[in-house]
Order: sequence, then C-alpha cells, then structure tokens
Amino acid sequence: MADLNAKPVLLHYRGWRGSLQGDGVASTFGFLAVQAALFGVAALVPSGLVRVLLLGVFLANFLLVSRSRAWPIARVALLMLFRRRLFWGLYALSITVFLCYFFGQYLMSWAQGLLGESEIRVGGVARVQPKWLLETLRDTLHFNGSPLTFRDFFWFEANTVMIALAFSGAVLIGNDFRYGSLAFYLAKPISIWHYLLGKGLAVVVFLNLFTTLPAVVLWVQFGMLESWEYFTEQSHLLLGILAYGLVLSTSLTIVLLAAAAWLRTTVPLIMAWMTLFVFAQAVSSALVDGLRFSPLWRLIDLWNCTYVIGNALLQADLSKIRPSPQPEVWQAALVLLGVCSACLSYLIPRVRAVEIVP
Amino acid sequence: MGPRGMQPASGGSRVTEPVPLIELQHLTRSFGPLRALGPLSCRLAPGRIGLLGPNGAGKSTLLKILLGLLAPSSGTGRILGRDLAHAGPELRRLIGYMPEADGLVPGLSGVEYVALAGELCGMPRRDASRRAHEVLTYLELGDARYRPLEQYSLGMKQRLKLAQALIHDPPVLLLDEPTSGLDPTGRDAMLELLDRLGREHHKSLILCTHLLGDVERVCNTVLILHRGQILAQGSVAELRASRQDRYILQIQGDSAGFREELALEGVQIVTDNTRGQWRVTVPHGFVTRAFFALAAHHGVLIRGLRADEESLEELFHRLLAEADLHGGPQR
Repeated sequence: MADLNAKPVLLHYRGWRGSLQGDGVASTFGFLAVQAALFGVAALVPSGLVRVLLLGVFLANFLLVSRSRAWPIARVALLMLFRRRLFWGLYALSITVFLCYFFGQYLMSWAQGLLGESEIRVGGVARVQPKWLLETLRDTLHFNGSPLTFRDFFWFEANTVMIALAFSGAVLIGNDFRYGSLAFYLAKPISIWHYLLGKGLAVVVFLNLFTTLPAVVLWVQFGMLESWEYFTEQSHLLLGILAYGLVLSTSLTIVLLAAAAWLRTTVPLIMAWMTLFVFAQAVSSALVDGLRFSPLWRLIDLWNCTYVIGNALLQADLSKIRPSPQPEVWQAALVLLGVCSACLSYLIPRVRAVEIVP
Repeated sequence: MGPRGMQPASGGSRVTEPVPLIELQHLTRSFGPLRALGPLSCRLAPGRIGLLGPNGAGKSTLLKILLGLLAPSSGTGRILGRDLAHAGPELRRLIGYMPEADGLVPGLSGVEYVALAGELCGMPRRDASRRAHEVLTYLELGDARYRPLEQYSLGMKQRLKLAQALIHDPPVLLLDEPTSGLDPTGRDAMLELLDRLGREHHKSLILCTHLLGDVERVCNTVLILHRGQILAQGSVAELRASRQDRYILQIQGDSAGFREELALEGVQIVTDNTRGQWRVTVPHGFVTRAFFALAAHHGVLIRGLRADEESLEELFHRLLAEADLHGGPQR
C-alpha cells in the first residue's frame, strides 16, 4: 500500500538501456578518403558523363555527414546562426546576386531565341536590339555559363560572404572560448578533432550556402536552358566550381576559426576580418594598380589569392583576370598554404590549452 | 538491476567480485621537474566518494587523469576496469562530469543543451532528445526546459549541469563543487538529489569539494589528498572514529578535585558546558577505567562516558596539521 505521508515524486529516475555509438574516427577517415578518391577520379576521367555522375555521387555523399559524431556540434552552431535575423538579412543580400545571375542567364537564353527579330519593344517606350542585348549579357556580364560566369559570381559574393563570416565567427567559435562552452564539449567522449571538425563543418556549410551551392545551381540552370550536351561538355566547370568551393571552404574556415579563437568577440573580429579582406585589398590595389608595384603585392589580399587559384581551377584564361597583373597561381597557393598552416599551428594548441578541470 | 559499473570492462563472463571503481598503483603525474601527484596507490569500491584536499593538493590533476584528459607519468590506474593511460575519450563514456564552471552554450534552450550532451556522448539523436526531457523532468527542470540558458538561475544552472552529466546514464558521476554558489535551500536540494542518485540508483559518485559538510552528508568514503599524496582514505565513519583519545564525560557532583586529579594524569578538558558535560582528551596509555576510579575517589558520579567522534572538518584539519607538523607527505 502506498505511503500517503511520503514526499511526492513526479517521476523516478530511469536508466537508459541503449548503446552508445563509437567515436566514428575510422568512418570519418573512410568518408574523407572516399570523397578524395571520387574527386580525384572525376578530375582524371576523360568522359564528361562519367565525371558528372561521379561528382553527383560526391555531392550526395555529403548527406552522410549527418551521421558523423562532429555533426551535432556543426548542427548546433548552424542553429545558433540561423536564429539570428542578421544572418537572414545577409543571406537575402547574397541571394540577390544569385538571382541577378539566375535571371540574367534566363534573359540571355530568351534573347538568343529572338536573334532573328529586328527590334524588341520594351514597355512600349524603349526599343532594344536583340544583338546588342545578347552581347551585353554574354560578353560584358558573362551570363553565358562559361568559366567567367562562375568566376565573377564567386567574386561578387565576396563582400556578403566576408561580412557574414565576420559576424558568424564570434557565434560559431568565439563564444565557446568566451563563455567556457569549449570545456563542455571537450569533457565529452570526443577528441579536439571532433570539435574542430564540427565547427569547421558549420563554417563550410555556411560558406557554401553563399557560394558553391548557388554556383552549382547556376551551372545546372544554364545546362537546362542551353542543351543537355552542356552538362557533359562543360563538366569540367562543375569540377572547377566544386574545387574552388573546396579551396575557399578550407582556407577561410581555418582562418576564421583561428581569428575567432584569438579575438572571441564580434567587434574585434569584424575589425580584424575587414582589415584582412577589405583593407588588404584596397592596399594591394593601390600599390599594384596605382603605384605600379610588383603584382606580388596582391598576395597580401587572401580573397584575391583564392580568386587566382579559382580561375585556374575553372580553367579560365589567366591572362584576362581582372584586375591585372596578378601573381602566379603557385605563388597564391603558397601564400594560402602558409597562412592556413600558421592559423592551424595557433588554433590547435589554443584549443588544447583550455582547462576542462580548472 | 545493478549499476553498469559492476560489470567487468571486457564484458563476457560474470564475476562475483565487483570491479573496483578506482584502482591506482604507484600512479604519478609530473609537469616538468614538478611532481604534482603521487605516487598514489589505492583501491576504492563503487560508492559515494569524497575527494578532499587543500588547494594544490593534486585534486584537479587526479580528476583530469580520471577523465582521460591527462595521461599518468608513471604507474598504472584503472577506473571500472578501464586503463587510465590508454582509454582516453572512452573513459568519459563511463563518467558523467559535472564541472564547476558554467560551460553553457549560449543561445540554446535547456533541453537542446542536454540533448547535445547526449549526442556528444554517442546517443542517437532521437534517444538523446527523449532522454533529455526525462532527465530534466527528474531534476525538476521540466517547466524551464524550453527557456534559453541565459535566463536560468544559479540553482537551475547547477541542476542543468547535473542533467548533462546524467544524460547517457553513466555508472560514475564526477562532481566538481556541485553546490558552489547555491543558497542553503538549493544546496540542500542538490545534496538530496545526489544522495538519492547514489543510494537509490546505485550511481558511483566522486564528489570533489571544499565543503566538508557536503561530503559528510553524501559520501560514505573519503580520499584526502595533500601535497599530491594520499593523506587518508577509508569510510567516513571509520575515519571519524579513528581518534581514540577523545571522550565525552557526563558527570554529577562537586568536580573541582576530580578536575585537578585528571589534570595530574594528563587529561585535558577541551570543553565544559557547565551542565556536567566535558569533552576531554587523554594521554597515550590512559585507560578509561581510570575515570571511574578517580571519580569514585572524589565522590563524583560518572553518568555517561562515550568516545568523542570527530567531525569530518575536525578530522581534515587535524590530519593536515599533523602532516604539516611532521613534514609529510612529501612530493
């Protein structure tokens, strides 16, 4: 019989009878190896169709990331970003660039179909020559599904991406140092690599939402507007877009994580970020374009370094890179590699130094 | 069902003898030339263990080693059969760690935070979410579970930290100052929770605190560290009764002569409550029969005589003072 005088207990503690998953280190390395192999084979294979199929598998495989032990860290980090209105504002700004390209390509496809007509009346007022419109869209604005389309798209997205990354850095990793959340993560049965991978994954997803993903959508759109042959004949462009995205993701993620671990709070991070990417660009431009210094001075602008590498990956004509002159691709790659190595050599000891038991 | 900690690490055949919670053999940890810990040797059965020691005693170093965050410099150690030197993150699956510092993730709600802890421990997402609700309800945070962490009071944060330690139902809970900053009511509630987890749900607790009253209330075993070495270990009751030179006398009658006689025998009256109750310390070799003989000689009636147990606080301070006086334990 129940003891009526006993202190009421709403719910007794119950044990959990499930089994815990492993740390997934082997499967993570396996995943990375498979992805690298897929990408490598796609780069080497001569057939366009096979390349597209391989890259399709490569992209689809990223859905498996949600099974990684690092994914909860990335998911929570992204959740915290998505809950901020500022993020949606910046994303809307970024989407306008994408929509400009999306409808620009559509307009060009439409204008191509009207080449035979002498003039088009727009709104009953203006008269537009289809030939002139086509030339503007294709040769000036590069809405033509060529390497220049995607190169320009990445370049124009730079400003929004940089502002978004500066704001997100403090939320993604700076707060972990500032509020001691890092000790919470590292006291769990994960290694610091899970933590760094999780945070890096969040930045990669965030960054690619602004850059690679819309670029892939533009590539698919152009193929559907133009012809099915575009997919196979220009499959190297998809490879280039993904490779450019990979270079951007890897380098900017490492630099952002290191900067956020160092500065922690939003305002100093924005100032440092702007110095790194806006001020450096202005200085390099003034030195090279204004004072006619060596093009090597452009190497102080990291976004320009990724841009030069991206041009090479998209197989764009390197002699026509704007602004010119530019440093060599290998020089840009070397600088990027050096910066990333320096950032990692700061970041890893910084995370290791966190006192989980004070 | 017994606690999971009672199962052998390797699984397989049943064993009759419970696996010790902590087993250390000549374990040391040095930082450069400075030896912070050891050599430590001890064997502690699963239960509620208080880890005590002054600042710099090596408690934090020992906690880090137990959590697999720091490898021992030499010697061996096991926690529930798992090797401390090689288990690494695997150790933290067995242990729910409640840190002293907040360590909250700003922007998350209570249930998201606890579920995240579960996922990081390796629980499937759905299980982690369901279990987070259960644990928060058990810890009476059910109403606040959807509230952002920034709005939690100090007491709620302490419970939340306990919830994230309990999420994967570990056999061992490592609690670092669990009542730190709590008001008396909150402290009382937290200690009751811990006591219930230990007694009713067979969780092994390792309670690291400076509040000796907390240890006295919750723990049945203590491990006292000083200068990186074990100063005392054993059950709280045994340690408190270990001092054989203190008694409480209840007397009746004119005590002046009796008092003088006791002083001559080397007996010191520590306190006198003026209502006939004395706390006394006796010299080595003094037999309690002598109290009755002396009392009879002075016409005093002894109405009560019992050994005077030290409080844990008295025991702790006495052991530290003795260790400092004798210059040991040394690093």
